[in-house]
Amino acid sequence: MALSSNARPNGGATVAGRLQKELMDIMTKPTPGVTAFPDDENMTKWTATISGPDDTPYANLVFKLSMEFANNYPYVPPVVLFKTPIYHPNVDFSGRICLDILKDKWSAIYNIGSVLLSLQSLLGEPNNSSPLNGQAAELWDKDPAEFQRLVLARHKTPEELDANAV
Amino acid sequence: MDHRTLIFATVFPVPSISHSTPTPISTPDLRYTTPGEAFGGPSSQNLDGQHRTVKRNLAWSTATRFLSLPKQLHGLNTSLGSGTSFDIQNRHRGAEVEDALHYLLIGDGRSEEAQEETLVEWYTNEARLHFANVVRPTVNNFWDKEVETEQAWSVLERTQQIFQQAQALYLEPFQDHIMPFLEHSFPPTPRPTKPTQTIQPNQAEHAIWRFRQEVNAIFVHCLPPKRYIKTLSYALYEAGCRMFRIYLRQDEMQEDLTMNPARTRERLVSLLRGLERVGLGGEPAQQAFAHAMDKIMNSFISSHYLKVDWFDKQPVVPQLRLFIRDGFYPHVKLVMECLNCDSTVQPTELQSWQDMALSRLGRARVDTMFDFVINWDHSLGAILDIKEYLKVPGAKQHLTSSFSQQVLRRLLHAGATTTYILNVYIRIIRAFYELEPKGVLLERVARPIRRYLKERDDTAKIIILSLLADLNAEGGRKFSSNSELSYEIACEMERPSGNIFGQEADEELNYNDMNWQPLPSDASPDYKKSKAEDVVWFLLTLWEREDFINELKNLLGDHLLKCQDPHFEREIRLLELIKVRLGDEKLQACEVMLRDVLESKRINAAIHSSTGKPSTKDNGGAPETPANAGPLPSTPRPRRLAAATPSSQLLKTPVSAKVAEDPQLNAQIISSFFWPLLRDDHFLVPLEIQTLQKEYETRFERVKGMRKLRWMNALGDGTVTLELEDRTEEFSGLMPWQVSVIYAFQPQPGEEWAGGGGGKGGGRGKGHQKKSSKTPAPAITRNVEQLEEMLEMDEALVRQSLSFWVGKAVLRESHPDTFTVIENQSATKVDENAAAAAQELAEVQASAQAGAVRSQADLLAENKDVYCNFIMGMLTNQGNMPGQSIGMMLRMIGNFTISGEELDWLLQGLEKEERIVAMGGGVWGVKK
Repeated sequence: MALSSNARPNGGATVAGRLQKELMDIMTKPTPGVTAFPDDENMTKWTATISGPDDTPYANLVFKLSMEFANNYPYVPPVVLFKTPIYHPNVDFSGRICLDILKDKWSAIYNIGSVLLSLQSLLGEPNNSSPLNGQAAELWDKDPAEFQRLVLARHKTPEELDANAV
Repeated sequence: MDHRTLIFATVFPVPSISHSTPTPISTPDLRYTTPGEAFGGPSSQNLDGQHRTVKRNLAWSTATRFLSLPKQLHGLNTSLGSGTSFDIQNRHRGAEVEDALHYLLIGDGRSEEAQEETLVEWYTNEARLHFANVVRPTVNNFWDKEVETEQAWSVLERTQQIFQQAQALYLEPFQDHIMPFLEHSFPPTPRPTKPTQTIQPNQAEHAIWRFRQEVNAIFVHCLPPKRYIKTLSYALYEAGCRMFRIYLRQDEMQEDLTMNPARTRERLVSLLRGLERVGLGGEPAQQAFAHAMDKIMNSFISSHYLKVDWFDKQPVVPQLRLFIRDGFYPHVKLVMECLNCDSTVQPTELQSWQDMALSRLGRARVDTMFDFVINWDHSLGAILDIKEYLKVPGAKQHLTSSFSQQVLRRLLHAGATTTYILNVYIRIIRAFYELEPKGVLLERVARPIRRYLKERDDTAKIIILSLLADLNAEGGRKFSSNSELSYEIACEMERPSGNIFGQEADEELNYNDMNWQPLPSDASPDYKKSKAEDVVWFLLTLWEREDFINELKNLLGDHLLKCQDPHFEREIRLLELIKVRLGDEKLQACEVMLRDVLESKRINAAIHSSTGKPSTKDNGGAPETPANAGPLPSTPRPRRLAAATPSSQLLKTPVSAKVAEDPQLNAQIISSFFWPLLRDDHFLVPLEIQTLQKEYETRFERVKGMRKLRWMNALGDGTVTLELEDRTEEFSGLMPWQVSVIYAFQPQPGEEWAGGGGGKGGGRGKGHQKKSSKTPAPAITRNVEQLEEMLEMDEALVRQSLSFWVGKAVLRESHPDTFTVIENQSATKVDENAAAAAQELAEVQASAQAGAVRSQADLLAENKDVYCNFIMGMLTNQGNMPGQSIGMMLRMIGNFTISGEELDWLLQGLEKEERIVAMGGGVWGVKK
């Protein structure tokens, strides 16, 4: 009892501290193509932006993601969702992502930057053995042209997203 | 005649009341016979009565004719000046009249049961009528319009005379012809039961008393009451002014010469007595008098006692009390006696008048309190007056609210410099300490000032620098009104600070304190006890302790690095002072800093003595000029501190030409962990200095157990002697980069030099280092880029140094960005203008760069990239945002302290780099 009640405020403080530090890291050593920023000052929700890797169907596209951190982060993975609609074997139509490090392979040594980099590389190298979007997994190998068409058809730019949101 | 009838008669004249003429002689008014009665026969019931009526009418006619008043008054002219007299006829009563009067007054003809008019009543009416017809028009002349103030006296006196005469005129017949009869019939008997206000021994006197009252009532009603009160009040006021020598604004002085107080008093007394006699005293007069006295008190205070005794610094309250006791009070008593007041003046009223006067004086003083504070301590007298005033109920409230407003209006605005505000604040502290040593008022009054001071950026700087300023050495020059230093604060430092040790933190819990006193009842909850006189304490507690100490750290660091005093006495004293007030646990860093500089001196000495022997023979010369730099964990506690050291090299003054050849280096060894962030520009120092640094380093490592030194070249200062073709100049107090730049104008290896040319000495540090080297005959020319490269120095620093030297007429800008040494000054007149311009520029730049501690601007430049990344990250992820929100996010999420202007600067920079675009309305977005 005492432990849990103590744990909460401490936990809160360390989460904020950790996230603050990660933010500073991202800002002092930015990685091209990947950025993230908190939504407000309590830092538990962030928005991230990744750009599609070249030489993939996602080249020149920009994707927004939401990240939510539980108050025992980094001991549990953040909840990451694609906000931009994406056609991808490991992402379903509501933006949920199937990626091992966001599930059972999560470790506290990962951070926002590494998660975003993993996601960026997932775009070029989907794990077609456990798809969330079967059609996409099939088309990835069979018909790259059709796949590309579907990707572009589904994609929306951040501006379009904003317009829909409003 | 009953009351009701009288009222009726005023509206519908009833002959028996309103008749104004004596009854004419006529046939006796026999009553008509009633029907059925025998005509002419004796009345059945009231034969007697009938007979009496006839007889009474006859007597009435005779008496009234006798008593009627003359229809005109001779000599009653309407002008104010001349005296007039009614001619009072001396009438002789004949026997007939005598009988008639006797009959009517006390004989059978007396009115019975108030049914008939008595002769006395008739006479009263007669007087009334006469007054209305004859006297009143005259009086009305005076009173119809506003009475001029200059005429107040004469109008009053005239009116009083006329009334007095009229009164005499009316009273005389009454007294001569009516009174005797009444007195005869009613021998004086005491009538204690009669409840009249005045003592009426008998009916006769009662009658005359009543008559008198009637007459007076006529007089009173004749005057417009308000105007009368006003005029009388003015006259009384004027008399008071004369008697107490109150000088009103413009005039009065000459008049006063003609009327001395004693005469004024006489005149006043006679007027008042007269007024009282004709019935104009009483309530209205008292009212007028009260009014006048009220004004007199005000005028007296404002004319005599608002003057502040600036020289003897004495309060005026005691004199004011004396005035009330010996002037005001007797005067009131005198006037009240003249007016024949019922209520006598109570001695207790003396006290209340004194209080009243005091509070008026106090209020007047409080209104100008701010000026008194500014002129403290010449205004001590006034302050003491206010102190006295504070005993009056409600005074404290008034003082604080009024003074706070004055402060708000006159002090806490953008036009006042911080130094000025601080000086005034100190005066406020002193003045209020005099007012109320407990400090409750001060605390209340000072709160807005303190809040305001906290908001000013330069407050802490001014306070600390002023505390460190040397009062004597500066010679007052630096303390001019717009200076950065406050003379007041500097003076405070000079004071002995003995008493502060008495006040330890837990005074409240000290049960042995026999002098303990409860907090004042009107203290606010955050009131802190005592210390009210300790100005420094007030200044140091302006901020939260941590904030202040941080500021102190920065300023002290800067100051210590620049300080010339080898013993750091003032600094040590200041630190002790602050420790006593703020507690020493927080001041560790400052102590370390102080120890660092002291230790540095010692180490310098040690190292120099060891260098002296092996290297050259000049060791004896000036041992105090060693310079060292080193990571000096000289303090025992911080093992791990990175010993970063600013190096300052010192050159020793050339004792002789030979010594001058050997530059010397003095370093200050600083425990960087405890020091504020210091500027650490990177550039190369002259080769000689580098060598010295190396040597110094090795020695230091030997002394200090292999500790490494990190040189901070940007700190420190140097002295150089430049030997040019036609002149030799010495410069001291130079910035290291300036030295480096000028040194760079020495010929480099590979450049040709002329054999016997001038030499330039470059030296830096607190002492003097001197180098001489030869300059080539063709003056050496370098451009900015070369210098940047040679010295690995920032362009800004290079340019600043160059313009400094141009300003000193050592360099000349021969082409844009290219500079040449002016070897021969006479040849180049043209340079003077350029030099002057450049000097100004250099000064501006230097002031921006001078501080050893990094400024906010430096921090901004350094963090620019991080800020920009933040902004980009924000805009990329969160979409377009207005500038304000960007600033807010930076402050909240990044914890950056960034001002609006700085943010604008950043945003504009990003826009120029085409990374963001303005979307209008202050909103920014990422450039696609």
